[in-house]
Amino acid sequence: MTLLVTSLAGALGATVRFLMEYVVRRHHPTRRPWATVAANALGSLIAGYVVYRLTSATDASLREILLTGFCGGLTTFSSAFAIPALLQREHHWAYAVVIVVTTPIACVIAFAIGMSLAH
Amino acid sequence: MPAHVTLEPKRFALAIGAVMVGGAVGTLLRDLALELQPAAANRTSWAAQIPWVLLLINAVGVYVATHLLRTVLRAHDPNDPWRLLLITGLLGGFTSYSSLVVSWVAIWHRSVPAGIAVAVGSLGTGVLAAWLGLRRRR
Repeated sequence: MTLLVTSLAGALGATVRFLMEYVVRRHHPTRRPWATVAANALGSLIAGYVVYRLTSATDASLREILLTGFCGGLTTFSSAFAIPALLQREHHWAYAVVIVVTTPIACVIAFAIGMSLAH
Repeated sequence: MPAHVTLEPKRFALAIGAVMVGGAVGTLLRDLALELQPAAANRTSWAAQIPWVLLLINAVGVYVATHLLRTVLRAHDPNDPWRLLLITGLLGGFTSYSSLVVSWVAIWHRSVPAGIAVAVGSLGTGVLAAWLGLRRRR
């Protein structure tokens, strides 16, 4: 049962990420994936909150649904490297490097913010 | 193909559906694969916190995504249903950045140098997988 709900939460997370990318794409004719960076940071923020808020054994299922499901679906590692790899191929070297370096920094800072919100 | 495109309602619904189906399957596969991650026997050891299975999942996800975007999905615009199903949904749901950050912080709490090393190593696997995905088969 938890597996099914986790899977659905993942679908929801992925949809939120798509909507963020879609809205940015619609308003800015850009191929720079800043919405993906933002989705990864947002997912990390929620993960930081959940990890430090839902700590008891009875929260295990909810923790799996939110962490593995929603946050896992909202964030993406594949696009975080595949899109910069393609930008690099199109000679946007600096942009590719900036995205690869900025994403983990943004995610760790967001995680720390989520963590502090939980306390 | 302009990147800034507003989808008409029918295509927008199809896009959402593609992302949801892909995201559900990708998340399910990741959740099942994570069962293979050995439980940390020693809670104080940072090495027991290294997310081997997730690192493999993420590396495979980057490789497949890069390869697809270089080959069959090359000409597809970002709102193409196939691209949304496979790249945004399936591989996006299969891989996770947030769980990786959770592991980094868990390792950092036990050993700061190890936390930094594992984070840099994780990024290295991503770069390596993307590089492998870009290579053309002859």
